[in-house]
Amino acid sequence: MRVGLFVTCLVDMMRPRIGFSTLELLESAGCEVVVPATQTCCGQPAWNSGDAPATRALALKLLAEFEACDYVVVPSGSCGGMIRSHYGELFARDSEESRRLDALSARTYELCDFLVNVARIDALPNADFRGTLTYHDSCSGLRELGVKAQPRVLLGKVGGAALLEMNGCEECCGFGGTFSVKYGDVSAAIAERKCRNIQSSGADAVVLGDLGCILNIEGKLRRMGDEKTRVLHIAEVLAGKADA
Amino acid sequence: MHFKARVGEKLADRILQENLAKAKPKFVDSRAKVMLELDDIEATREAAKQIRNRSLENLDLWLETFESKATEAGAQVHYARDSQEICKLVVDIARRHGVRKITKSKSMVTEEAGLNRALEAAGIQPVETDLGEYILQINDNEPPSHIIAPVFHKSKEEISDLFARTHNTPRKTDINELTREAREQLRPHFLSSDMGISGGNFIIAETGSVAIVTNEGNGRLCTTLPKVHVVITGIEKAIATLDDLSTLLRLLPRSATGQAITNYVSVLTGTKRPDEFDGPEHLYFILVDNGRADLIGSEFQDMLRCIRCGACMNHCPVYQTIGGHAYGWVYPGPMGSVLTPLYQGLENALDLPHAATLCNQCGVVCPVKIPLPELLRKLREKQVERGLRPLSERIALRAWAWVARRPALYALGTKIGVRYLKWLASGKDRIKVLGVAPAWTQGRDFPAPQGETFRELYARGQRDCAR
Repeated sequence: MRVGLFVTCLVDMMRPRIGFSTLELLESAGCEVVVPATQTCCGQPAWNSGDAPATRALALKLLAEFEACDYVVVPSGSCGGMIRSHYGELFARDSEESRRLDALSARTYELCDFLVNVARIDALPNADFRGTLTYHDSCSGLRELGVKAQPRVLLGKVGGAALLEMNGCEECCGFGGTFSVKYGDVSAAIAERKCRNIQSSGADAVVLGDLGCILNIEGKLRRMGDEKTRVLHIAEVLAGKADA
Repeated sequence: MHFKARVGEKLADRILQENLAKAKPKFVDSRAKVMLELDDIEATREAAKQIRNRSLENLDLWLETFESKATEAGAQVHYARDSQEICKLVVDIARRHGVRKITKSKSMVTEEAGLNRALEAAGIQPVETDLGEYILQINDNEPPSHIIAPVFHKSKEEISDLFARTHNTPRKTDINELTREAREQLRPHFLSSDMGISGGNFIIAETGSVAIVTNEGNGRLCTTLPKVHVVITGIEKAIATLDDLSTLLRLLPRSATGQAITNYVSVLTGTKRPDEFDGPEHLYFILVDNGRADLIGSEFQDMLRCIRCGACMNHCPVYQTIGGHAYGWVYPGPMGSVLTPLYQGLENALDLPHAATLCNQCGVVCPVKIPLPELLRKLREKQVERGLRPLSERIALRAWAWVARRPALYALGTKIGVRYLKWLASGKDRIKVLGVAPAWTQGRDFPAPQGETFRELYARGQRDCAR
């Protein structure tokens, strides 16, 4: 099957390693992966800022880039949620655009969801992590896409890793896109609660599926003086790239 | 005071922060536990949503039915368009009956109206009898910070001091003793009150009744002892039947306080009948619009399903961090961030729809399934449409969106951007001060980027992970 990889704008800029890990996971799951070179952003920042026209333009751009794929896979519950749950709201219900976007939405998957429920992978040949992990359920993945069991199933296949659940794993980390800079003080205070829960779990690393939350959590942990708790994207762990 | 300034104040409020930290097990954990008693949580929420939708879709019909049934039972039904009309109606009723003192059971709609101030100006003494509301009233009419736990922000010590000062009694620190003292203060007011005011959790069309859900006995004393009882509630609180009420009552106390049922559930119908020993001789309903009717048929109609349980704020990461007063008006938390701009004007609450992470924790706990994040986002859209966002934000958003549609330009921009960030980190894995987003680095570091974009690396044929 032909899978379009939408790396997301944050991964593109901040941590390409997550994109390459995703690519590798998809290829080892037997997918033919295409990476449209013109991809930029799904439009979520515009949507959440109340700019519907800009969102429509970016949604149509993404549609043109990925429409030929059997599936679209996104290493982010947030961007995946935007495409899957909100693209259908952008145009009039019975319009041509809406029909095509709906069809694309239905073929769009968050990475873990795809690996477990579509690719149905059995093993993770390259996964290797020695230590304890705790998983943070990012909001959009969890509450828009139902990503809850999938990452845990996958982490269960990682040799050497043990999962320690933290308190309040489903609580927001306080990132919230532009919220994190519009109300930086509130955002940082929410992140601090999340980080305390991560630390109390005693895990060596917190693993999650969204780079926005990663930047927030890692930034807060380091500011709190925590140099040892690692903050990893699940793709990095599953692809055995956590030590890169 | 501006929202951001209030937030700064609340983040530094030690007592508030302690109380917020303590509240979670009380509200969040107890709700989660008691919800499990329901056979099917999701089906019950869906049923409650449908009940509230049916109410709203034919609200005129239910209000007319309610009015005729309530009138048959001896009540008078009035409608108030706005706060001013609420106050005028209450003062007129009070004057008609020669009322000097009013005992009040908890009502958020009277907070909307600023009723206590209007009553005092008319020479009528309002006495709040809900313990929390009483504490706030004797503390110079302080506003509540939570819709069901109005003194959420106060410590026991503050209340001890306040009671000793106001009641001129020895300072007590035991909660039972403090409560007893409040009872002793309130009892004479109950007995000498000429009129009782209550809110109404629901008004029931088929019987013309009001349903009141409380945990303190004050509600019953306010509604049955005085010769006049005035119910003040929003028009949207009409439901069709007692059957509907029973479904909603399975969710309201569970969502609000984590109780299967509250200490008191009263369904009051009509005035005192000849064969009855208690109840008011005169019963009035003041059904309040105050912005609600405008939401009917609008894209914000879902908000009118709200049954005022407070679960959205109890579960909100932002409310849990700043408390209720920061929101600036009567209703805090996610429901307040939707209602305040709708009732007080979009331009008067520009921050509220944005002061949310859109995590949807509120949406999944809402007993009537209000899509709160979606409504907040729609309010953001309205702000943009009306040109209410700051110019700098509009320019930045427009510029970003324009570039994001032009892949070559975007590639160049991000290429330069990540190199700049990498340079800022000067060899370290983090940036301590980020000039373009200082609000980020005030409380956090900003992790450094790897230094090249994915698309650059991919175009060069790299298939492995660069450091």
